[in-house]
Amino acid sequence: MTAIDFKRFFAKTTPIAPSPVQAMAKETAIVASHINLVYRNGGEEFNALQDVSLTVKSGEVHLLMGPSGSGKTTLLSILAGLLTPTRGQVNLLGEEITQLSRSRLAAFRLKHLGFVFQGFNLFPALTACENVEVAFHLKGVPQARKHAIELLDQVGLADRCNHRPQDLSGGQKQRVAIARALAGNPQIIMADEPTAALDSQNGHAIITLLRNLAKTSGRTVLIVTHDPRILDVADRVTDLEDGKVVTKAKLG
Amino acid sequence: MASIARKNLFEDIPRFLVAQAGIMFAVSLVTVQLGILRGFSRSTAIVIDYARADLWVASKEMVAFELTSPLPADYVNKSMAITGVDRAEILLVRAGRWRGADGKLSPARIFGFNPDGELFAGWTLSDGSLQAIKQPYTAIIASGVEKSLGLDENNRTGSIAGLPVTIVGTAEDVQSNASSPFLFSSLETANTYGDAEINSSINCVRQPDGNLNCTNSFKNRPLGQKLGDLASPQPLSLSDPISYILIRAKPGQNLPQLKQRLLAALPETQILTQAEIAAITRNYWEVRTGVGFILGLGATVGFIVGMVVVGQILYASVADHIREFGTLKAMGASNGVIYRIIIEQSLWMAILGYVPSIGICLTLGQWTQMTRGIMILIEPSTAAAVLLLTVVMCMGSAIFAVQKVTRVDPAIVFKA
Repeated sequence: MTAIDFKRFFAKTTPIAPSPVQAMAKETAIVASHINLVYRNGGEEFNALQDVSLTVKSGEVHLLMGPSGSGKTTLLSILAGLLTPTRGQVNLLGEEITQLSRSRLAAFRLKHLGFVFQGFNLFPALTACENVEVAFHLKGVPQARKHAIELLDQVGLADRCNHRPQDLSGGQKQRVAIARALAGNPQIIMADEPTAALDSQNGHAIITLLRNLAKTSGRTVLIVTHDPRILDVADRVTDLEDGKVVTKAKLG
Repeated sequence: MASIARKNLFEDIPRFLVAQAGIMFAVSLVTVQLGILRGFSRSTAIVIDYARADLWVASKEMVAFELTSPLPADYVNKSMAITGVDRAEILLVRAGRWRGADGKLSPARIFGFNPDGELFAGWTLSDGSLQAIKQPYTAIIASGVEKSLGLDENNRTGSIAGLPVTIVGTAEDVQSNASSPFLFSSLETANTYGDAEINSSINCVRQPDGNLNCTNSFKNRPLGQKLGDLASPQPLSLSDPISYILIRAKPGQNLPQLKQRLLAALPETQILTQAEIAAITRNYWEVRTGVGFILGLGATVGFIVGMVVVGQILYASVADHIREFGTLKAMGASNGVIYRIIIEQSLWMAILGYVPSIGICLTLGQWTQMTRGIMILIEPSTAAAVLLLTVVMCMGSAIFAVQKVTRVDPAIVFKA
């Protein structure tokens, strides 16, 4: 899929008002305002993100799309508080995270965010259950084992509790990663190319699962992807190109 | 919570075993070096430790147990006459050249004492008896010196200065690592061996001009004299030089006051408690000879090598799992959580490297003691110290790994 295909698709959709700050309301989960990120390499400067603004409403599945190098993963890192923007603010669940110290930011992520990664990022030495338990333990949730099994059951992997990642298929690994992301009931799930390492059938199944699990509990899901096959599960799409927001679209 | 540290460690068993081999090498190196140092230190004064004397009368010039000047033998009678002395026994420390049955020479340290005495020979005999050395030209050897003296089960004889020696017993765990093979004989036999090395005579003739013309002649004894050809060793005379007098005080005596009385009665001497003479001897070997420094340096090098080895292993392990640590940071784990994982991993490595290493070193120590009489002393305190060192070594090494994790950019988790 190329950027041209996206543009053709977005051309059929209704653009959203450009100012996310204006759109901010109680139901808003993520508000990014005028995000700029400048990399300096010697005397040269590279603008990875230029005046990016974005609003994601609570309970919505929002896709962040664009070609490789468009800055979508960089934006996700900033929205997750893993990267500090050169300029601009990020507000998550009403908290201005760009003002938080590292330790408070870590505590915020622990409490409110769940992550799903392109490479799964499971602990290879731990079983599926233990991988999910880790998240519960970090959050200080008691009876972690019981909760981990319940979550694995929700993603259809209760019978794989004691299997290590090496014994699971790509789709199963991503299901374990989703279960881990859901541990402790975070309000926002951030997923980076969650289908990139999967075939189309598994990829679609994973995204559908993610959407269903999010929708049933009112979670907000922000997915970075360049896979147009998952557009049908999204409520809203933002398209990035060369570090700038090109289009925003509300689907369905 | 599943121990990420432990699981990471056992994830790849061959790699784990290679890593543990490195740690075991380092721990064994430190343990053996410390054990040799401790064993060497203990062995240099072990003969003193076995004695049961309250006080030792030594020459004022004494430097260490085996490096002293002679005392007159009649000091033993003077000692006995002093108020508060219950018993006084002579100890001779002599050097000799042992010639084994194969004709090869070896230095030997000869101790002469009264086999009916109560103050010197506190050690255990693995064979023979103290009474056996009452026979002329017999001796007890320290265990582990057989090979040095060319002895075996079938051949228990040799000679010193041409005089025959028959081995009639073996004393356990009494050899000094710093000294020649020990032989224990009666006073008479030891004195004879000590004096017999070279016969010398001086003949002087007064010249008509009044000057003396003297000729000093030295002659070795003939080799391989048979017992039947020899007269029995002569008892010590009051003019014979002796090395030490071991004193037992009467019950309830004030030892410092008794020391003063002995010092006043015995000119040119120093009166030492057993602990004092042992400490002087150990200090001499550890400090003045530099042996202690060398062995201590070996232990220090072992510690540094261990830290480098463990540091490399931990660093490599952390590097292998850097994405996992990044994931934990992205999920919101505090640095403390991640440090605990690394520290726990280093502690597991320390314990799992330490236990087999100590077992190997204890076995090695027993083997060297049995076969060569060389003591690698691993006492509970040494083992505890090595455990502490191992933990410090592993934890210290973990600092490198912690540094790496501290610098991890959690944004790496979004890179495929």
